[in-house]
This record gives sequence, C-alpha cells and structure tokens, in this order.
Amino acid sequence: MATLEILNVTKRFGRKVIAVDDISLEVHDQEFLVLLGPSGCGKTTTMRMVAGLEEVTEGTILIDGVDVTDLPPRKRNISMVFQNYAIWPHMTVFENIAYALRLKHMAKSEIDRIVREVAGMTNIGEYLERLPAQLSGGQQQRVAVARAIAVSPKVFLMDEPLSNLDAKLRVSMRTELKAIHASAKATTVFVTHDQSEAMSIADRIVIMRDGKIIQTGTPEEVYEKSANLFVADFIGTPPTNFFDVTLQKSNGTLHLVNPHFDLSLDAANTARLNGYNKEQLVLGVRPENIVLTSEKDSIMGMTALVVEPQGSHQVIAFKMDEKMVKVVAPSQPKPDMGSTIHLNFSQGTLRFFDPETTFAIGD
Amino acid sequence: MNRKTKKTVYKAVKETIFYLFVTGLIGAMLLPVYFIISLSFLSTREAYRYPLPLVPALQTKFEMTHGERGYLLSVYDRVEKDYQTVLDTSELEKMEVYIKSQLGTSISQEEIQAEMDRLDDSGEDSIFFTKPRNLLYNYDTFFKVTRDAVPALIRSLEIAALTILISITIGGLAGYAFARYIFKGKDALKFSVLFVRMFPGVAIALPMVIILAKANLYDEPLGLSLIYSVGAIGLTIWITASIFMGIPESLEQAAQVFGATKFQAFMRITFPLALPGLAASAMYTFLGAWNETVGAIILTQFKPTFSVVVYQTLLGASGQVNLAAAGGIAMALPAVFFTFFIRRYINQMWGGVTV
Repeated sequence: MATLEILNVTKRFGRKVIAVDDISLEVHDQEFLVLLGPSGCGKTTTMRMVAGLEEVTEGTILIDGVDVTDLPPRKRNISMVFQNYAIWPHMTVFENIAYALRLKHMAKSEIDRIVREVAGMTNIGEYLERLPAQLSGGQQQRVAVARAIAVSPKVFLMDEPLSNLDAKLRVSMRTELKAIHASAKATTVFVTHDQSEAMSIADRIVIMRDGKIIQTGTPEEVYEKSANLFVADFIGTPPTNFFDVTLQKSNGTLHLVNPHFDLSLDAANTARLNGYNKEQLVLGVRPENIVLTSEKDSIMGMTALVVEPQGSHQVIAFKMDEKMVKVVAPSQPKPDMGSTIHLNFSQGTLRFFDPETTFAIGD
Repeated sequence: MNRKTKKTVYKAVKETIFYLFVTGLIGAMLLPVYFIISLSFLSTREAYRYPLPLVPALQTKFEMTHGERGYLLSVYDRVEKDYQTVLDTSELEKMEVYIKSQLGTSISQEEIQAEMDRLDDSGEDSIFFTKPRNLLYNYDTFFKVTRDAVPALIRSLEIAALTILISITIGGLAGYAFARYIFKGKDALKFSVLFVRMFPGVAIALPMVIILAKANLYDEPLGLSLIYSVGAIGLTIWITASIFMGIPESLEQAAQVFGATKFQAFMRITFPLALPGLAASAMYTFLGAWNETVGAIILTQFKPTFSVVVYQTLLGASGQVNLAAAGGIAMALPAVFFTFFIRRYINQMWGGVTV
C-alpha cells in the first residue's frame, strides 16, 4: 500500500479556465479520503490527474514518493472505478476482471485464483460467465469494483461510483464499499458531490470549491468545525441555519442581537469572540442545536410553519425574515402546525462567521 | 347499423386499404426484380416474345414435319398456344445450333438424327417430341461468350475489397479523431468531407483520367479503387464518427488505467465494439464500388469491371436481353450475399445491448 501526495497542482483548460487551482494534499497509507464538492469544483479533474487521464498543467503528483506526474496511466500502479462503471460490454465478467491481470502476464492459474477471490469479496462469484448487459446496475458496479481491487493497486480511485444507483442501493453499496476497503486496505480517493455519502464513508473529507480546497478534516471536524459559511451550508441535512446578528456588550457579557432574539452568550463563547472587533456577525446553528423549551427559558417565540415527523425525530420549520429556519427535535412533544414554539440555542455548539470574509471565528 | 358495427366496418375498410397499399408498394419494388430474374432464364426466342412469358418453360415441345429444304421444325409457342415453324433445313449442325442458342435447349446431333429417322420410318405427316430446357444456358453463355466476364468479376471483387480497405483505414481513423478530439475547424472539416460527394463522377472524370494516367494507374484496379475511395471515405467518416461517439471514452480510459497502452486499448476495447458499425460502413462501400459503372466505363479500357461488362452486353452487337439479364443477376448476387452476410454481423450486438 502507499501514500499519495499532490503538490501545488494546477490544471488549466485552454488559457482561461482554471479547473484546479494550486492544490496540495496528502493521502495517508490505507486512508479512505473523499473529495467532496459541488459539480464543477475540480474534484473529478483532480482525480483524473492522479489517474493520468488528464495532463497536469503545473505541480507534482507522488505515489509512494515516486514522481508519476508524466507517467501514462498504466505505469502508475493505480486502479479506478468510473462513474459509468466503464466495464467492457463485449467481455464476460471474468474477462473484465482478468484483462488487467493478463496484461501483467500472470500465470493462468494465478489469474483464475485472483478473479475468484475478488469476485467472492464483491459477491459476484456466480455471474463470472455472464456479459455485463445481463447484470443489474448494482451488479455491474460490483464488477467495476472487483476489477479495480483485483490488480492490488497502490492507490484506488473512485469517481462518483454510486451516483448511477437508485437511492436504496446507493446506501447499501456505501456500506459494502467501506467493508471492502477495510479488507482490501487500499489507499483510496473517492469523489462525490453527495455530502451524506462523504460523511458516512470517509476517514477524511476534502471539501473543494472553484478549484480550491476549502477544508480538510474528518467528517466530525467538517461538520462541527466548518471552516466557512460554504462548508457549514454544504455539509449536513438540513444545513446549518444562519442568522445575521449584531454584537452588543452590556454588563460584561456579549449579546447577539437580531430583531427576533437577544442571545446573551456564556463565558466560553464570550471568550471566543474576544479578538473580534467588528459589529456584524453571522451566527451559525445546526438544526439539532436549536432546542424547544418553555417560554421562560426561551429567547424567541416563533410560529411553527411545517412539522415533519421522521419517526426517530421531527423537523420543524419556521420563517424568520423570509428565510426558512429548520429545527431537528426529538419526536415528542409534537407542536401543532401554526402554533407558537419557544426556542433557545444550545450554547456549546454555536458557530460564528465573519460576514465579510465568510470564515469561521473563535475556533 | 349501430355504432359498434359502423366502427368495425370502418376499421376493416381502413385496414384493407392499408394492406392493399403495402402490397402495392412491395409489388412495385419486387416486380422488376422478379422480371429480371425470370428474364435471365428465358430462351432467346421467348425473351423477344410479346407479351413476355412470366415463368420460364421447363421443357421445349417440338413438332417435326417434312419441309421444302429437308425437315421442318416447329416449336410450341406459349403465347400463341400453337406450334410455330422456326426452321427448314436438313443440316444437323444448323438445327443443333439453333435449338441451343435460340431455344435454350440441349440436344445432340444424334438425337436430332434419331427424330428425323423416326419421322421417316413412321410414314406419318408429323411427329412430336419434348426436350428439357437448359435453364442455365444464359448464364453459361454469358460467362463463356462475353469477353472477359470472369476476369472482370475477379477484378470487381478486387476493386471493392481495396476500396473497403482504403476507406475503412483512412475514414475509420478520421472518424475516430472526429469522435474523440476537439480541434480547430472540426465542424468545417467534417462537413467538407461530404463535399466530394456533391460532384457527379462524370463531371470530374476527365481530370481523373489524366491524373490516373500520370500516376500510371489508368486502367488499373488500384486506380479505380482510389477514385471510389474518395467518395467512400467521406461516408465512412460520418458513419464511424457516430459509432465511435457512441462508445464511451471511459471504456478506453479504463483499459489504459488497467495496464493497456493507448493502442492496445483501442484494439482490444474500442475496435471490437465498433465492428458492427464498421461492417455497416464496409457494406455501403462495397455496394458503391461494386455497382459503380459510369466511372468505370471512362476509367478502364482493357481491364473493365464486371459492371462494365454487363453494360456492354446490354449494348453490344451480340446484345441479347436475356444474356444481359443473366449478367445483371450474376452481378447482383455477390452484392446480395455480401449484404446478408454483413447484416448478420450488424445485428450481432454484444449481449443484446448497444453500447
């Protein structure tokens, strides 16, 4: 197994379009790293550069310390699962998996052994003699994965491999991929635009936007300590609620004031904002950190616009200044639609953002 | 009549008209084909009768009597439904040749002599006898009598094969480039390859003759196939470009990732997947090169193609319409076989799925 280093890599298409803008990142041995971002953020281009399918305009890519920047794909010791699987329709499942091994001039018995082993791992053992057209989407996906792990690559690349599957299958394949990764122990780079997929599968997430890396961290880190407004909004369903507030000081405590509420911060949060000397602030609160409470303990009373029971919990939406605010609360007590709900924020999890730079403050 | 019967009647009428129309359409297409096939089996005498017999006779009925110059031979005429006198001679050879060439019937001089003896011995006015027709006589004659028929057939096959080879190689590679790469002037170039097809062959035949003569390729199969390739390449580019576009690039890229060179990836992945399309394109090229006549008339002299030979048979002094029909059928057969052979290939998609 191996490490992958991407050093100051830039990709330009033509003169104007910058798809990837001077990014650097390191993937550790056996790590499952997810490149996450909206479409057009450069995540797929980054992966294709690692694969050697796109030329690198500037920068260096190292696999296990070896510079592979100018090597053709076949010499990089990588394997890849494509978004459309890219399994060869005119070859049987067996041939699809065996093709790469044949190119390595392996002995026939060895090829046979490896194919059966990976087919077992991916549960396609009984379909080896079939053509891809006779398989379902999920099975084709497994063939693509089996083919990719058969070559025991140094780096395993997956380009949105689950996006062509239906919702239910996607979730179960997610778990399976994670299990396969655990047993194959391959250094993996996984590209997706689906944040919940990234959260559930990644050891570490790299969030990209406009060709740049915005934040790198474990799923917990990017969720709880989102680096800027974009990440806080992009990660989590429902996303973080944002409130434009004014900072006011009275009697030594800080107040975050908004036409709808006046939140007096506790000592810890006051300390976090010590160095901040602008008046305006964006307060970010995760939906589960807005709590329903008694009128006495609340800082605001709002009208519950929509109540969506989810079984294990419920999502309550209310409107504040034309913006929808969503609350994730335990399933009981259940407020009536249109009734007044009393709310407070849980102080330990508040996020502060500078409205000008959009970056988080007080971490 | 209630509404339901009305509806049923309306439907029946509609369907009847529809099927009549379809039948008529099929008839209009198949009748000429049937006509030429049937004509190619008729004897020369029957081929010039009016109305033309629709089915070739399987045997010829003769009546023999004594004539002024020897023996008077009459043949049963299917149009007039009566015996008509065709020959009055005592020469066995003359009679044999006539029966063979005009009536398409095999008979030996001994057999004729035997019939004559029978007439003399019987003492009756006339005798009747029947001989089987030699149905393939026209084909036999066409290849035997027509100058160069067999070499021309081989030459035509050679030209068609060369044309396919040249146009698939150049056109296929160009089609691949059009499908896979973005470059300046791509659209204009792709359109311009159709340009050459806008000019009728005859219009540019003279310069072609000069160019070919200068290249020492006039009256050579290679020269003709080069000319045919010019038009065929354009069509091949368009067909193959869309075929290659339909094959996802990621299939090739996957092969590259898994250890293949670009060339290996093309040969092992893209090429086999494109084969049905390439076969279709080869079929068009074959038909074009095989059937082309006008250019071949101008661009050949001592080494005509098969189509030229058929054409000359139709026009030539020895021209007999039934011989020309036999030549036409002989010419159509390879095209039909090739088309059916290729068609099976086109239909053979991988696991029932088009990529």
